[in-house]
Amino acid sequence: MSANLQLRVPNRIEELPGVSEAVEALGREEGWTQDVTYAIVLGLEEVATNVVRHGGGEPGSSEIEIEVTSSDDEVRIEVRDSGKAFDPFHEAPEPDLDAEVQDRQIGGLGVHFVKVLMDETSYSREGGRNHVSMVKRRS
Amino acid sequence: MNVQVDHHDKVLVARVEGRVDSSNSQDFERQLQGAIGEDVQAVVVDLGQLAYISSAGLRVVLLVAKTLGQRNVSISLCALSDPVQSVFEISGFNRIIQIYDTQADALAAAG
Repeated sequence: MSANLQLRVPNRIEELPGVSEAVEALGREEGWTQDVTYAIVLGLEEVATNVVRHGGGEPGSSEIEIEVTSSDDEVRIEVRDSGKAFDPFHEAPEPDLDAEVQDRQIGGLGVHFVKVLMDETSYSREGGRNHVSMVKRRS
Repeated sequence: MNVQVDHHDKVLVARVEGRVDSSNSQDFERQLQGAIGEDVQAVVVDLGQLAYISSAGLRVVLLVAKTLGQRNVSISLCALSDPVQSVFEISGFNRIIQIYDTQADALAAAG
Protein backbone atom coordinates (compact mmCIF):
# COMPACT_ATOMS: atom_id res chain seq x y z
CA MET A 1 0.00 0.00 0.00
CA SER A 2 1.27 3.46 -0.77
CA ALA A 3 -0.27 6.90 -1.10
CA ASN A 4 1.10 9.83 -3.00
CA LEU A 5 0.61 13.59 -2.69
CA GLN A 6 1.85 15.99 -5.36
CA LEU A 7 1.72 19.75 -4.94
CA ARG A 8 2.97 22.69 -6.97
CA VAL A 9 3.01 25.98 -5.09
CA PRO A 10 4.38 29.45 -5.89
CA ASN A 11 7.66 30.29 -4.09
CA ARG A 12 5.94 32.32 -1.37
CA ILE A 13 6.10 31.78 2.41
CA GLU A 14 2.31 32.28 2.65
CA GLU A 15 1.81 29.11 0.59
CA LEU A 16 3.57 26.88 3.12
CA PRO A 17 0.82 26.50 5.77
CA GLY A 18 -1.41 25.03 3.05
CA VAL A 19 1.34 22.53 2.24
CA SER A 20 1.56 21.55 5.93
CA GLU A 21 -2.22 21.04 6.08
CA ALA A 22 -2.21 18.81 3.01
CA VAL A 23 0.67 16.73 4.36
CA GLU A 24 -1.01 16.37 7.76
CA ALA A 25 -4.19 15.19 6.04
CA LEU A 26 -2.16 12.53 4.20
CA GLY A 27 -0.61 11.52 7.52
CA ARG A 28 -4.03 11.06 9.11
CA GLU A 29 -5.21 8.89 6.22
CA GLU A 30 -2.02 6.83 6.38
CA GLY A 31 -1.92 6.54 10.17
CA TRP A 32 1.45 8.23 10.77
CA THR A 33 2.46 8.62 14.40
CA GLN A 34 2.57 12.12 15.91
CA ASP A 35 6.40 12.09 15.84
CA VAL A 36 6.55 11.02 12.17
CA THR A 37 4.00 13.68 11.18
CA TYR A 38 5.87 16.40 13.08
CA ALA A 39 9.21 15.41 11.50
CA ILE A 40 7.79 15.41 7.97
CA VAL A 41 5.87 18.69 8.29
CA LEU A 42 8.91 20.34 9.90
CA GLY A 43 11.40 18.96 7.37
CA LEU A 44 9.26 20.11 4.48
CA GLU A 45 8.69 23.57 5.95
CA GLU A 46 12.42 24.08 6.60
CA VAL A 47 13.45 22.99 3.11
CA ALA A 48 10.69 24.96 1.36
CA THR A 49 11.41 28.07 3.47
CA ASN A 50 15.06 27.85 2.41
CA VAL A 51 13.98 27.64 -1.23
CA VAL A 52 11.84 30.78 -0.89
CA ARG A 53 14.42 32.75 1.12
CA HIS A 54 17.61 31.69 -0.68
CA GLY A 55 16.47 30.57 -4.12
CA GLY A 56 16.64 34.04 -5.60
CA GLY A 57 13.87 35.47 -7.76
CA GLU A 58 10.84 37.42 -6.62
CA PRO A 59 8.27 35.66 -4.41
CA GLY A 60 5.65 34.07 -6.66
CA SER A 61 7.94 34.11 -9.72
CA SER A 62 8.56 30.35 -9.76
CA GLU A 63 7.09 27.14 -8.41
CA ILE A 64 8.16 24.60 -5.84
CA GLU A 65 7.23 21.00 -6.65
CA ILE A 66 6.58 18.77 -3.67
CA GLU A 67 5.93 15.05 -3.71
CA VAL A 68 5.24 12.98 -0.61
CA THR A 69 4.97 9.20 -0.92
CA SER A 70 3.82 7.20 2.08
CA SER A 71 4.34 3.45 2.18
CA ASP A 72 4.05 0.93 5.00
CA ASP A 73 7.57 1.40 6.31
CA GLU A 74 8.67 4.88 5.21
CA VAL A 75 7.67 8.30 3.93
CA ARG A 76 9.65 9.79 1.06
CA ILE A 77 9.65 13.56 0.41
CA GLU A 78 10.93 15.18 -2.78
CA VAL A 79 11.27 18.94 -3.22
CA ARG A 80 12.25 20.43 -6.57
CA ASP A 81 12.71 24.08 -7.54
CA SER A 82 14.31 26.11 -10.30
CA GLY A 83 16.06 28.62 -8.01
CA LYS A 84 19.80 29.11 -7.93
CA ALA A 85 21.89 26.05 -7.03
CA PHE A 86 21.92 25.56 -3.26
CA ASP A 87 22.78 22.39 -1.36
CA PRO A 88 21.25 22.96 2.08
CA PHE A 89 23.02 19.94 3.58
CA HIS A 90 26.50 21.25 2.81
CA GLU A 91 26.17 24.99 2.25
CA ALA A 92 24.02 26.04 5.21
CA PRO A 93 26.00 27.14 8.28
CA GLU A 94 26.41 24.61 11.11
CA PRO A 95 24.70 25.87 14.27
CA ASP A 96 26.84 26.14 17.43
CA LEU A 97 24.65 24.11 19.77
CA ASP A 98 26.80 24.87 22.81
CA ALA A 99 26.87 28.68 22.63
CA GLU A 100 25.31 30.68 25.47
CA VAL A 101 22.14 32.72 24.86
CA GLN A 102 23.90 36.01 24.03
CA ASP A 103 26.35 34.35 21.61
CA ARG A 104 23.98 31.92 19.98
CA GLN A 105 23.37 32.44 16.25
CA ILE A 106 20.19 31.16 14.63
CA GLY A 107 21.50 30.31 11.17
CA GLY A 108 21.41 26.72 9.99
CA LEU A 109 18.99 25.50 12.63
CA GLY A 110 16.31 24.48 10.12
CA VAL A 111 18.74 22.32 8.14
CA HIS A 112 20.06 20.86 11.40
CA PHE A 113 16.48 19.77 12.26
CA VAL A 114 16.17 18.07 8.89
CA LYS A 115 19.47 16.21 9.30
CA VAL A 116 18.56 15.01 12.80
CA LEU A 117 14.89 14.13 12.21
CA MET A 118 15.18 12.45 8.81
CA ASP A 119 16.70 9.02 8.25
CA GLU A 120 18.09 9.88 4.82
CA THR A 121 18.73 13.18 3.07
CA SER A 122 20.25 13.97 -0.31
CA TYR A 123 20.66 16.88 -2.68
CA SER A 124 21.29 16.96 -6.41
CA ARG A 125 21.23 19.54 -9.17
CA GLU A 126 19.40 18.16 -12.20
CA GLY A 127 18.69 20.05 -15.41
CA GLY A 128 19.06 23.46 -13.77
CA ARG A 129 16.85 22.51 -10.82
CA ASN A 130 17.52 21.75 -7.17
CA HIS A 131 16.28 18.40 -5.93
CA VAL A 132 16.15 17.69 -2.20
CA SER A 133 15.15 14.21 -1.14
CA MET A 134 14.29 13.10 2.41
CA VAL A 135 13.21 9.76 3.85
CA LYS A 136 11.56 9.23 7.24
CA ARG A 137 11.11 5.65 8.44
CA ARG A 138 7.83 5.00 10.20
CA SER A 139 9.28 2.91 13.02
CA MET B 1 -1.27 31.41 16.54
CA ASN B 2 -2.15 33.58 19.48
CA VAL B 3 -0.32 34.89 22.56
CA GLN B 4 -2.38 35.35 25.76
CA VAL B 5 -0.83 37.27 28.61
CA ASP B 6 -1.38 37.05 32.40
CA HIS B 7 0.50 38.91 35.11
CA HIS B 8 1.45 37.24 38.38
CA ASP B 9 2.93 40.18 40.32
CA LYS B 10 6.14 41.02 38.42
CA VAL B 11 6.12 37.75 36.49
CA LEU B 12 4.56 37.82 33.04
CA VAL B 13 3.09 34.58 31.73
CA ALA B 14 2.70 34.39 27.93
CA ARG B 15 0.61 31.44 26.73
CA VAL B 16 1.28 30.60 23.11
CA GLU B 17 -1.51 28.77 21.27
CA GLY B 18 -1.58 27.13 17.86
CA ARG B 19 1.26 26.91 15.36
CA VAL B 20 4.36 29.04 14.87
CA ASP B 21 6.01 28.63 11.47
CA SER B 22 7.85 30.71 8.88
CA SER B 23 4.57 32.30 7.73
CA ASN B 24 3.63 33.82 11.11
CA SER B 25 6.89 34.05 13.09
CA GLN B 26 7.06 37.84 12.60
CA ASP B 27 3.59 38.16 14.08
CA PHE B 28 4.68 35.87 16.94
CA GLU B 29 7.68 38.13 17.58
CA ARG B 30 5.50 41.26 17.58
CA GLN B 31 2.96 39.72 19.96
CA LEU B 32 5.57 38.33 22.35
CA GLN B 33 7.82 41.42 22.41
CA GLY B 34 4.77 43.67 22.65
CA ALA B 35 3.47 41.78 25.69
CA ILE B 36 6.64 42.28 27.74
CA GLY B 37 6.40 45.58 29.60
CA GLU B 38 9.18 47.57 31.23
CA ASP B 39 8.37 46.61 34.83
CA VAL B 40 8.52 42.85 34.28
CA GLN B 41 11.10 40.95 36.34
CA ALA B 42 10.61 37.49 34.86
CA VAL B 43 8.89 35.96 31.85
CA VAL B 44 7.36 32.48 31.71
CA VAL B 45 6.39 31.30 28.24
CA ASP B 46 3.75 28.57 28.54
CA LEU B 47 3.86 26.36 25.44
CA GLY B 48 1.20 23.89 26.62
CA GLN B 49 -1.15 24.85 23.77
CA LEU B 50 1.57 25.14 21.13
CA ALA B 51 0.95 22.42 18.55
CA TYR B 52 3.91 23.10 16.30
CA ILE B 53 7.04 25.25 16.08
CA SER B 54 9.77 25.35 13.45
CA SER B 55 13.19 27.06 13.36
CA ALA B 56 11.47 30.36 12.48
CA GLY B 57 9.68 30.28 15.85
CA LEU B 58 12.78 29.17 17.74
CA ARG B 59 14.58 32.16 16.28
CA VAL B 60 11.98 34.41 17.93
CA VAL B 61 12.36 32.62 21.28
CA LEU B 62 16.12 33.15 21.06
CA LEU B 63 15.76 36.83 20.12
CA VAL B 64 13.40 37.43 23.05
CA ALA B 65 15.76 35.55 25.41
CA LYS B 66 18.66 37.72 24.23
CA THR B 67 16.69 40.95 24.68
CA LEU B 68 15.56 39.95 28.16
CA GLY B 69 19.04 38.75 29.12
CA GLN B 70 20.43 42.20 28.34
CA ARG B 71 17.81 43.65 30.73
CA ASN B 72 18.58 41.03 33.40
CA VAL B 73 15.03 39.68 33.09
CA SER B 74 14.82 35.90 33.42
CA ILE B 75 12.93 33.78 30.89
CA SER B 76 11.74 30.21 31.18
CA LEU B 77 9.52 27.88 29.19
CA CYS B 78 6.98 25.37 30.46
CA ALA B 79 4.48 22.63 29.58
CA LEU B 80 6.05 21.61 26.27
CA SER B 81 4.41 18.71 24.41
CA ASP B 82 6.72 15.82 23.54
CA PRO B 83 7.34 16.82 19.89
CA VAL B 84 7.92 20.49 20.83
CA GLN B 85 10.29 19.37 23.61
CA SER B 86 12.20 17.32 21.01
CA VAL B 87 12.67 20.34 18.77
CA PHE B 88 14.03 22.39 21.70
CA GLU B 89 16.41 19.55 22.59
CA ILE B 90 17.66 19.11 19.00
CA SER B 91 18.32 22.86 18.82
CA GLY B 92 20.26 22.79 22.11
CA PHE B 93 17.95 25.53 23.46
CA ASN B 94 17.07 23.31 26.43
CA ARG B 95 20.64 23.90 27.63
CA ILE B 96 20.46 27.71 27.45
CA ILE B 97 16.82 28.36 28.43
CA GLN B 98 15.27 26.84 31.57
CA ILE B 99 12.36 24.49 30.80
CA TYR B 100 9.82 23.37 33.44
CA ASP B 101 7.19 20.63 33.28
CA THR B 102 4.37 22.86 34.51
CA GLN B 103 3.51 26.55 34.72
CA ALA B 104 3.32 26.20 38.53
CA ASP B 105 6.92 24.94 38.62
CA ALA B 106 8.05 27.80 36.38
CA LEU B 107 6.22 30.40 38.50
CA ALA B 108 7.67 28.97 41.71
CA ALA B 109 11.18 29.28 40.29
CA ALA B 110 10.54 32.75 38.85
CA GLY B 111 8.81 34.18 41.93
